[in-house]
Amino acid sequence: MTVDLNKLHAVGAIAEAAEGKWGMVIDMDLCTGCQACVAACAMENNIPYVEEEDAGYGRSMHWIRTERFWEGEYPEVKISGYQPMLCQQCGKAPCEPVCPAFATVHSQAEQLNLQVYNRCVGTRYCANNCPYQVRSFNWRDYQDSRVRPEITILANQFNPDVTVRRRGVMEKCTFCIQRIHKAQDKAKSEGREVEDGEFTTACAQACPANAITFGRIDHPESLVSQLARSPRAEHHLEELGTLPRVTYLKEG
Amino acid sequence: MADRKHHTSHEEHLREQRLMLDPMPRGKMNEMVMEAMHTTSWKFWLVFGLLAAIVAYALFYKWGVMILEGLGVAGVNRPSYWGIFLVNTVFWIGISHAGTFISAILRVFKAEFRRPFTRAAELMTTFGLVQAGFSIFMHMGRVWLSYWLMPIPNQRQLWPNFHSPLSWDLLAITTYLLSSTMYLFLPLIPDLAMARDRTPDGTWQKVFYRTLALGFRGTEGEWTHLRNALNIFAFAIIPVMFSVHTIVSWDFAMATRPGWSSTIFGPYFVIGALHSGMGAVVMVLAVVRGTMKNMKYFIRPEHFEAIGKLMLIISMAWAYFFFNDYIVQWYGGDKWTKELLHWHEAGPMGWMWFAMLIFNVAIPWATLWNKKWRSTPWLIFIVGMLINVGMWFERYIIVPISLTINRMPFTWRLYQPGIEVWLGIGTLAFFILLYMTASKLIPLIPVWEVQEGQMAHSLKKYGRETVVTVSELE
Amino acid sequence: MAEEKSILAVFSDIDPAADAIEQLRLLGVHDDCMNVISGIPVTEAMLGRPSQWTNVPRLALGGAAAGFLVGLFLAFITPNMYTISVGGQPFTPVPPAVIVLFEMTMLGMLISTFVGVFFDSLFPNYRPMHYVPEISDGKIAILIECLPPDEQKVRDVLKQLGAESVEEAEAQHL
Repeated sequence: MTVDLNKLHAVGAIAEAAEGKWGMVIDMDLCTGCQACVAACAMENNIPYVEEEDAGYGRSMHWIRTERFWEGEYPEVKISGYQPMLCQQCGKAPCEPVCPAFATVHSQAEQLNLQVYNRCVGTRYCANNCPYQVRSFNWRDYQDSRVRPEITILANQFNPDVTVRRRGVMEKCTFCIQRIHKAQDKAKSEGREVEDGEFTTACAQACPANAITFGRIDHPESLVSQLARSPRAEHHLEELGTLPRVTYLKEG
Repeated sequence: MADRKHHTSHEEHLREQRLMLDPMPRGKMNEMVMEAMHTTSWKFWLVFGLLAAIVAYALFYKWGVMILEGLGVAGVNRPSYWGIFLVNTVFWIGISHAGTFISAILRVFKAEFRRPFTRAAELMTTFGLVQAGFSIFMHMGRVWLSYWLMPIPNQRQLWPNFHSPLSWDLLAITTYLLSSTMYLFLPLIPDLAMARDRTPDGTWQKVFYRTLALGFRGTEGEWTHLRNALNIFAFAIIPVMFSVHTIVSWDFAMATRPGWSSTIFGPYFVIGALHSGMGAVVMVLAVVRGTMKNMKYFIRPEHFEAIGKLMLIISMAWAYFFFNDYIVQWYGGDKWTKELLHWHEAGPMGWMWFAMLIFNVAIPWATLWNKKWRSTPWLIFIVGMLINVGMWFERYIIVPISLTINRMPFTWRLYQPGIEVWLGIGTLAFFILLYMTASKLIPLIPVWEVQEGQMAHSLKKYGRETVVTVSELE
Repeated sequence: MAEEKSILAVFSDIDPAADAIEQLRLLGVHDDCMNVISGIPVTEAMLGRPSQWTNVPRLALGGAAAGFLVGLFLAFITPNMYTISVGGQPFTPVPPAVIVLFEMTMLGMLISTFVGVFFDSLFPNYRPMHYVPEISDGKIAILIECLPPDEQKVRDVLKQLGAESVEEAEAQHL
């Protein structure tokens, strides 16, 4: 006998969660750990470079990072895999409710996890509560040319679609929301829907191994949805119930 | 004859021991308290100046530097996003719990030994909360926007997020700071009136006391209103006190992190707060007794003895909660929690974990059971200090050390304190500075409460035994 | 209208003060015309005086109710003014609202208790008042504000019962 939980008024607590809208699939068997995604993301999103000392101390600000894992002791080490890690755009994000200032919120329209920079007061509670540890904090005024004169030249390659952030503000991957909006605006002006593969995020675009696929996961025919249905698919820390929108393919 | 002599000496002994049986005329006590306030040696000013310099440099200058340069000058990093700032916040809120414990819980239960030092303890509450406020505001990335967290109408039309434990914290700490300050002030009014009556005209002190005493004379109505209000405060501030540290614990317990997500954190934190708070009270009382004039009359070994007993019980309760938390986490067997527990004990900061247990449990248990030892001011001062160090370690283990271990091993990294060490020293110096200032401005002993207690106490003979009796005057 | 005279009799103990109050009543001084000023809270029962009316508990209750309403506003109204979805939680979840309600209720109650003392005792009050500084040194003073015609008799009775001083009270700046 099966019990319909919805008939037991279990709606809300146990009922299936919405799938979300935008999603990503990362094939870890294809990833070579080349860090092209990291560089592309930094350029696309005006992510400041952090000097060696700070970066070594855990203050690098990349929104996507390639985690290396290895087995054995030096020098007998064997790389056992690369794991690109970025904001999972959780459906039930632990970072959101803990912000006292409503600086990290859920977009109802895009089903994304937003960070509102100018609302952030820097309590860093969200970063503590992120099980994926993918949020980065502006520990210093990395983008201010008055503080770092050398940034003046780099400022010429800033992406005009993305703001720069100042000290004391939290930031994280947005799934290149500026690209999403651009594609949506273009499709709207042409009176059509956004097509699958019409645009992609900076990291996916830059990946030479095509390990990253981005698209609509609420469209069953999209490439990203097809890949996400693969038997190799898994979600990170799924047991926490965060409903991540990034699917990893591994160990086929 | 010999028998009678024995009785007299026993009586004398009781009177010598207990302030409540050793009454003095009220005028004499007033004079002693005023004299304690006015007698200031050069040593006081030396310490005062030193502390003021530390506050100016370590608290305000260093904080200014951090505001201008960003939190990069501190030691916080990924994954230890919260560092000593939060350790100090929890620590200072913990200290502040002692005042309420003594002046409210002991008042409700009519523990008579509380009378001479309710104010000394209640001052710690207010000043401790001020330091907690400093610590938490320092920790913010953009402190100049901290008013965004206040629930006030604003042109952004945005109210705080009441889903967030930090918003609850703000409400709870504000409530606690305001109510403990009011609770400090109400029983102070009659003593301010006393100070007003004993201050000559034409001095700024006269203006100060006259203003703050609000025109209190001690009429029947005034006393009735005051007594009623104190009664309401004593009962109502107890749940507020419990809520404050429970909500502070929820900042951690609500998070999806190994080691933090624990339902026992609320009471564990409350008892931890009382542990460090009582330790701090004996430290303050020992210093007040040792350095201020006439205080040996008001603060006696019996008071250290009584607080020592409470400290022992609280230490046992702390050990009980600690073990509860530990064994449930250990038995659960979650791999990240196991990693964390191993990190606590055998990681590079493992010494701190063991020191915490020694200072919070082993040393109090080894010393406080002995009546003579716990009545000795210098000895219990050291025990109180070690408990405070141990409790600071406990918060350090809970905040930056536990933050090191998360579910993403790639990000694990040790935390090395930076400028926040200075800022922490600054808050400690500021606490002592505020306390020293207060000790020169307001009567540190609630004289009317002491006199009330002395009226209520007497000796009575049951057979051949002389015993102390207390009558209920209220 | 002639200016009303007041007498301030200072006692050093409760018992003679209580006796004096009884005698004054026999002499026709109404309870409303007397006030006892003391350096410690001496209860009405000890002095045989009618019990004092205080609004403080009622004000505390009113403040608690007001605080509760503020809590309701914060927890249930403000999230609806600008709806923001966080963490898959409802806009106005009840469990966190309990915390807001508790804190605001307690804050409202304690502030109104505090303000109640000011309100009932007419604080702050810096006008000249009948007072002697010895009161804060533990003396008990009886202030007789409306004197019966035979004022001298009142004075004699007070003196007889051990009043340390019986003086015409002068309003003075405290």
